[in-house]
Amino acid sequence: MSRLSPMRLILIAVLLAAAIALPFAFDPRGYAIRILCLALLFGAMAQAWNIVAGLANQVSLGHAAFFGIGAYTSTLLLIHFGISPWLGMIAGAVLGGLAALLISLPTMRLRGHYFALATLAFGEVMRVIANSWGGLTGGPVGISVPFAPSSLAMLQFKETRPYYWLMLAALIAVTAIFVAIRKSRLGYRLRAIKENVDAAEVIGIDTTRTKIIAAVLSGGLTACLGTLYAQFQYFFDPDTVFGVGSISVRVAMIAIVGGIGTAIGPILGAFFVIPLEEFANQIFSAQAAGLSQLVFGVLLVVVILVEPRGFVAMGQRLARRFRREDRS
Amino acid sequence: MAVVQAILDGLMIGGVYAVISIGLTLVFGVMGIVNFAQAEFLMLGMFVAYYAWAWLGLDPLLAAPLAFAVVFVLGAALQHLLIRRVLKAPEVAQIFLTVGLLIVMENAALLMFGSGFKSVSTPYQTASLQLGPLFVSVPYLAAFLMSVASGLVLWLFMKLSWFGKAMRATAQDPMAAKLLGINSDRMHMLAFALGVGLTAFGGAVILPYLTASPTVGGQFVVLMFTVVVLGGLGSVAGAVVGGFAVGIIQSLSGLAFPIQLQNLVLFVVFIGVLAFRPKGLLGAAR
Repeated sequence: MSRLSPMRLILIAVLLAAAIALPFAFDPRGYAIRILCLALLFGAMAQAWNIVAGLANQVSLGHAAFFGIGAYTSTLLLIHFGISPWLGMIAGAVLGGLAALLISLPTMRLRGHYFALATLAFGEVMRVIANSWGGLTGGPVGISVPFAPSSLAMLQFKETRPYYWLMLAALIAVTAIFVAIRKSRLGYRLRAIKENVDAAEVIGIDTTRTKIIAAVLSGGLTACLGTLYAQFQYFFDPDTVFGVGSISVRVAMIAIVGGIGTAIGPILGAFFVIPLEEFANQIFSAQAAGLSQLVFGVLLVVVILVEPRGFVAMGQRLARRFRREDRS
Repeated sequence: MAVVQAILDGLMIGGVYAVISIGLTLVFGVMGIVNFAQAEFLMLGMFVAYYAWAWLGLDPLLAAPLAFAVVFVLGAALQHLLIRRVLKAPEVAQIFLTVGLLIVMENAALLMFGSGFKSVSTPYQTASLQLGPLFVSVPYLAAFLMSVASGLVLWLFMKLSWFGKAMRATAQDPMAAKLLGINSDRMHMLAFALGVGLTAFGGAVILPYLTASPTVGGQFVVLMFTVVVLGGLGSVAGAVVGGFAVGIIQSLSGLAFPIQLQNLVLFVVFIGVLAFRPKGLLGAAR
């Protein structure tokens, strides 16, 4: 990890200012700004997924479990006890972290395909529970966030712009956590595990503990984002927030398309995948259901075949080619 | 008596589960790939059988070999065009290639066949046989017998034919098989085509008692993985045992729980097996 050069700092500051000012370029009640919000939120989720999958190579197909826990915890606390979603978010993060611990304990020795399968089943368990336990969750018909006057304390706004800044802050926060972990001892341990679990064990890394810490962090962060999603959408159901396709696979795909294991990858991926998906929905949905999802699947297959390390690696390859041409 | 009846029903559906899951375990055993899209080939098999019935008036049981053949060819092509390219890639790439394939197949089916549910009507649909105090539904029995027959054919093929032996050799030791002049590329193609074809065959034989829809695969994904993981990923004999076990678990839990929670029982069994016996209940026996 090279230290941030002044040039890079300036670049980041400019980008940040542009990102904060961006919503003023859009109709505050329009559709485009909502898509930007979703792109920021999904970018943050992909970044949280990246902590386990990118750093430790533990590919989870069940992150919807934590996301749904976050969405339901804050919403249920708000409905039944009038508790502010900020506190609900903390409660959701604790439960999300606990859920990550719960699934980590039996699956931590699993690798690769086996881990992916176990997490896939865990996400489905949560979806089935949320659908069947109607007394708590409202069941398959879904649940609405009670309306409150616009305020930061209740995390509800009439306009879309405040949501945009919230989601931007979330993306920056999760990305900062990802970068901090990557540079920390924990990050080095995780990378040792990624390279070779047995070798990591031999040099004295408690691989189980390391993986569990990463999983709990990732699960807790994902739950926080679930609360944000609930407050943003006002309505959701188990198949949406606990869905394999709608959350688990989509989040993983965003990170992969952008560049798994890198800090910028999930952000690039989100700002490519989410607008593309919305765009495809808009032009195709009138003619045929499924076409936009088809595009989505084809994109995933193509990226995997062309460059499984995503846009970041493609960019690096291009840059290298240009540099070579300069020299000759 | 209800318990005995449930076990009998479980055995009947378990036979079908075994056959659709043998395909999945075969692909893993020979190529080391977990095919997340496997259940989509079951969906395709159902649709081939449905259109054979709707257009040609063919009974789904007779259309099953046709479903096998169509999907066999498709599988060979997919292996050659897509899967072959990630065999040496990191696991992340392997997982998400087949996940991508799943999304593509499900939505292509949605576009081609529409989102509606399609079912066939056969003369034996509601018939059942009485064995003393027990009842056997004829479509379940027919699907079971067809599954057993196809399983036996596969077993004979693997045991006796040169291709079967070569495929097992490739699964056991790819290097040694190559040294003996076995074209591993061709073996992978055969294994993948056979695997998805067999799953499609299973899809066709269950059509008399299940409705086809583009999203039907979703009901079978975790189920198939539970079957193969119970028996040990890569083990064909294990898939047979796992298939019966899952069939019986499912129908017994049907006595105690409402239908949605039956799947929950399966998921919990699945995670439990992965956690405590990741090589399957039969151990590492391949």
